[in-house]
Amino acid sequence: MSLSQAEVVLAGDSGDGAGGSLGRDAWRRLRRNPVAIAGAILVFLFVAVALLAPWLAPFPPDKPVGQVTPTSIPGPSAEHWFGLDDLGRDEFTRILWGARWSLVIGVVSLLLGMTGGLLLGLLAGAFGGVVDTVVMRFVDMVLAIPGLLFAIGVAAMLGSGLEAVMIAIAVVNVPIFARLLRGQMLAQRQSDYVLAATSVGVRRRRIVLGHILPNSLTPVIVQGTLTLATAIVDAAGLAFLGLSSNDPSIPEWGRMLADTQRYLSSAPLLAVFPGLAIIFAALGFTLLGESLREALDPKYRR
Amino acid sequence: MRRNGMPLRGTLAVIAGTVLIISTAACGGDAEPGATATDAAKGSTFIFASSADPSILDPAYHSDGESSRVTNQIFETLVTTEKGGTGVAPSLAESWEVSEDAKTYTFKLHQGVKFHDGEVFNAAAVCANFERWYNFTGLSQSDSVSYYWVTVFRGFAKNESDTLGKSLYGGCAAKDDNTVELKLTEPSAAVLSALTLSSFAIASPKALKDYKADEVGGTAESPLFTGTFGTEHPVGTGPFKFASWTRGDKLELVRNDDYWGEKAKLSKIIYRPIEKAADRAQALRAGSVHAFDYADPADLESLKSAGVQVIERAPFNMGYLGFSQKTKIMQNQKIRQAIAHAINRENVVKTKYGAGAKVANAFMPDSLWSYTEDFAKYDYSVDKAKQLIAESGEANPTLEFCYPSGVSRAYMVDPAGNFQLMKADLEAAGFKVNPKTSPWSPDYLNTTQAGDCPLFMLGWNGDFGDPDNFLGTFFQSFSSQWSFKNEPIFKVLNDAEQEPDQAKREELYKQANALIAEFVPGVPYAQSPSFSAAAKNVQGWEPSPVLNDVFATISLS
Repeated sequence: MSLSQAEVVLAGDSGDGAGGSLGRDAWRRLRRNPVAIAGAILVFLFVAVALLAPWLAPFPPDKPVGQVTPTSIPGPSAEHWFGLDDLGRDEFTRILWGARWSLVIGVVSLLLGMTGGLLLGLLAGAFGGVVDTVVMRFVDMVLAIPGLLFAIGVAAMLGSGLEAVMIAIAVVNVPIFARLLRGQMLAQRQSDYVLAATSVGVRRRRIVLGHILPNSLTPVIVQGTLTLATAIVDAAGLAFLGLSSNDPSIPEWGRMLADTQRYLSSAPLLAVFPGLAIIFAALGFTLLGESLREALDPKYRR
Repeated sequence: MRRNGMPLRGTLAVIAGTVLIISTAACGGDAEPGATATDAAKGSTFIFASSADPSILDPAYHSDGESSRVTNQIFETLVTTEKGGTGVAPSLAESWEVSEDAKTYTFKLHQGVKFHDGEVFNAAAVCANFERWYNFTGLSQSDSVSYYWVTVFRGFAKNESDTLGKSLYGGCAAKDDNTVELKLTEPSAAVLSALTLSSFAIASPKALKDYKADEVGGTAESPLFTGTFGTEHPVGTGPFKFASWTRGDKLELVRNDDYWGEKAKLSKIIYRPIEKAADRAQALRAGSVHAFDYADPADLESLKSAGVQVIERAPFNMGYLGFSQKTKIMQNQKIRQAIAHAINRENVVKTKYGAGAKVANAFMPDSLWSYTEDFAKYDYSVDKAKQLIAESGEANPTLEFCYPSGVSRAYMVDPAGNFQLMKADLEAAGFKVNPKTSPWSPDYLNTTQAGDCPLFMLGWNGDFGDPDNFLGTFFQSFSSQWSFKNEPIFKVLNDAEQEPDQAKREELYKQANALIAEFVPGVPYAQSPSFSAAAKNVQGWEPSPVLNDVFATISLS
């Protein structure tokens, strides 16, 4: 009996502040923030294009649809909105399909990285002591290496292919999530409700998984949104450096940028389109993530 | 770019994303050599942007243009190609005689020639080199190591693989200090022009021994040269001497002041590997290099307008898709024919090659003697390809298709671009394509030469003006690269090589082209002029159609 009472108290403590739940409050603030709206629209467009690319694209992404030569690559026209690429394929189609690849790479690498990071963070945060020290020193070591450089190293080690790229980006994100979660959990461990739960005899496993972890996840969600942005940019960067799928005909924005470098003087728009696509996709997730962070931060509550 | 009066493009490029800018800036940084162009002009240091590192500086062991471009300066052959052409001219041998039965070649050597290590060049040294090649054992006998010896001389003293034939080499005798008698086991009319190949350059026998040139480890796919001759101590008789080599960074040669002929005008050559043609062009515009080969046709106009000299070499090359018949699917002739019909070669050449490039129909350039078009041609037809696949008995044929990265050749300007066009064509005909890529040197060259790529993209820059150099190199005997045995083709090419009568040789090569076209061992698709670019102040460069350029005549004004 006393146990369930404690839980009721704990639930109230975690969610309820000055009246009205944190979630509802955050949603309200999010809706009123123009930056958040802009970010959400960009993200929505990106995801929609990614999901609907096969139906939206007017041409096949990997087949030439017009004749080009090394010195004449037709620019935008009524038929080909973004013109043709250096192999005579429709650039607009490839940009649309590129969203799909970016989303796949971004989401998969984010999930992988987040899972790994959460496991490590949970380990460190839950056990503390020696486990914490070992895990966190390892995390520090990894964090000491610049992200993109580390990703290049991992991708080069794993060999070519999209899987290698996704794993590389994921590995870079592991320590970020580990550190974040561990910090949150440590903070939560000191809080009164945990003390209360411990004093009424709730088992540690239950406290960690049932109370501390859910209460520590908010910043992880924010970080996840922001990480999607960097994952997209990182994937493009790796592809630009030649670390990408074995199949060069996959419309991947970073690779499209790299491949059209040769034509920068004769067809500069070919570099502009994928460049803008990368910028807008990353911008969308960044804006949304930042507004989420603000909305969820109790300090901003009025 | 600003010099072209297009600041708008510059601005647009800036918008094109931080990734692009940061990376290009990084590449630009890589291209900057430590020595600036002004330094270089004073000391007559010639900086050449190559497109990749040489594979090895031991001429006997290399078969790629990046390596021979360097060894052509360090080493010399008995005979060489004439300036600007493909005929045979004297080099270390001042004259030669060929016996009537075309089995004995007698060379009169130049006197007073010394190797860079001070050793005397004489008949004994020449024979020591021939004996070294003939006595290669183990891995040195594999195609990926001694490619040219195998293609020209066919076999070794003790063949360790039954794919090798009886050696054409019948012995070398030093008649006196300056007379070498080279005996062949069979008549050959092509050996003399074959000896212009940089792989038959004469190295110092003492250095070969001291620096353990014959030690080769690893595997046939990726041989490992444990001796230091080919990496740190290449010693020949050429106008330049080896100074240093840092892989991926730079390779330096210095003038050989004791050179027996006309001494080089440059005091130093620096080769810098810059993978991308656009980066090479940028480095030249920025003044950090003096010249480069394999200019991208897309860049020629802007290079010319920036005041750069564009040098065109007549097409003496051929880009082809090869089939390794090690795999079952490639042994199916219908499949091979289907691939030949499926590929829109016209479109590939138009899209990716510059002015002057043509579709190739045979495994030799159409400018070479004996070329006529009396053979089966495979026109672009998706329907025919589909029909052939249906007849082949292969349901859902899947092709493992290899293409190289980090390389650009006149016959293959943009390998990834060619690959994508061909993949789309093959898929349209109903093939499934499984892409595979690796860096050109050494991985790609080794895997293709070992025959481990069922479908591969390669090409050939001719080395000397004889059809034997094209057809004979590819198809005269079994090679693991193609992995097929076709006796009629082998025989007609053998006969053609041995025939002393020119008119009869021409007839035989015509027959060979017809047989090859019917058998479809691969699909030739492009022949293209190659373009080199040099800064305004570079003078005296004599481009050779067979890439036998010697930089000794170059000077900087």
